Amino acid sequence: MISTSSNASELRFLVVDDFSTMRRIVKGLLKEIGYVNADEAADGAEALNMLRRTKYDFIVSDINMPNIDGFGLLSEVKADDDLKHLPVLMVTAEARKEDILRAAQEGAAGYVVKPFTKATLEDKVTKILQKMAR
Amino acid sequence: MSEPIPGVFQRLGEITRQLHDTLGQVGQPRLEQLAGQLPDARSRLGYVSGKTGDAAEKVLNLVDLAKAEQARINERIRELTDAIGSPAPLDVDSTIDRLPSRIEAALQEIDSASRRTDEHLSAIMLAQDFHDLTSQVMRKVVQLATDLEDQLLKLLLQAAPATSLPLPNAYGGPAIDADRRSDVVTNQKQVDELLASLGF
Repeated sequence: MISTSSNASELRFLVVDDFSTMRRIVKGLLKEIGYVNADEAADGAEALNMLRRTKYDFIVSDINMPNIDGFGLLSEVKADDDLKHLPVLMVTAEARKEDILRAAQEGAAGYVVKPFTKATLEDKVTKILQKMAR
Repeated sequence: MSEPIPGVFQRLGEITRQLHDTLGQVGQPRLEQLAGQLPDARSRLGYVSGKTGDAAEKVLNLVDLAKAEQARINERIRELTDAIGSPAPLDVDSTIDRLPSRIEAALQEIDSASRRTDEHLSAIMLAQDFHDLTSQVMRKVVQLATDLEDQLLKLLLQAAPATSLPLPNAYGGPAIDADRRSDVVTNQKQVDELLASLGF
């Protein structure tokens, strides 16, 4: 179950991106927004290993990654009874409309295109968490 | 980043067209296809150059702003140090009365400048996102160069006809020519509108 705590600092995020600079940026922004607990994974396969060993509350994932990509990760998460409740926010450079629609249809909680602002990330995370809490 | 040498891209385009035409005549469809992708590679490299240059300029501007804030902070601290450490003038009562308010004013200014510096530092961090975008674009150019080299080698060695190569990465990466395409979005607002129009 997703954490029902309203304390942002208690939520645990998993940031998935094959680019270490982008992982640092997303983690840094999450920290500024108030979400100080964030781990990193370099691709979908590593993310799934981590998700099955540690309890997370939110996934922020790129799409274009080696091994298991963002859509593969999304599919695995939604097919796993222990993980399907987790919101998956796609944060990606993929700007094709078909990718945006595919993400929505396959259960992504939101979609942010790079480059993005801190305000956009905060807005999306907040809205997703508010929706989950209802 | 240095400006491209004038005429280089034009000359590259001419060579590309000649290569494309020649390969078509020679009957190497795969090579012809790859050669046809060279103008796209040119655009991608231009995109990388632009993004990198923009990021560098943005960061340098932010550094200037942050350094100015730090200078303000240092100046206030020096003033405070002087005010606290200087010998009491003849009009002691008046000076003592003013000191707390001067300290308070200086501390408020230091606090404001410090917050602004923090914002500039955050903006510098965010400006590094160009690296992710340009790397994805560069990967495609490298892949094209690798494929082209592979095919040219086969041609040179007069090996078996070109076998079908693995399809390039199915993802488009950053849309470097979004203004000429209708199948991509160009900003977050368009993403949100697209999703909202379909009920998501």
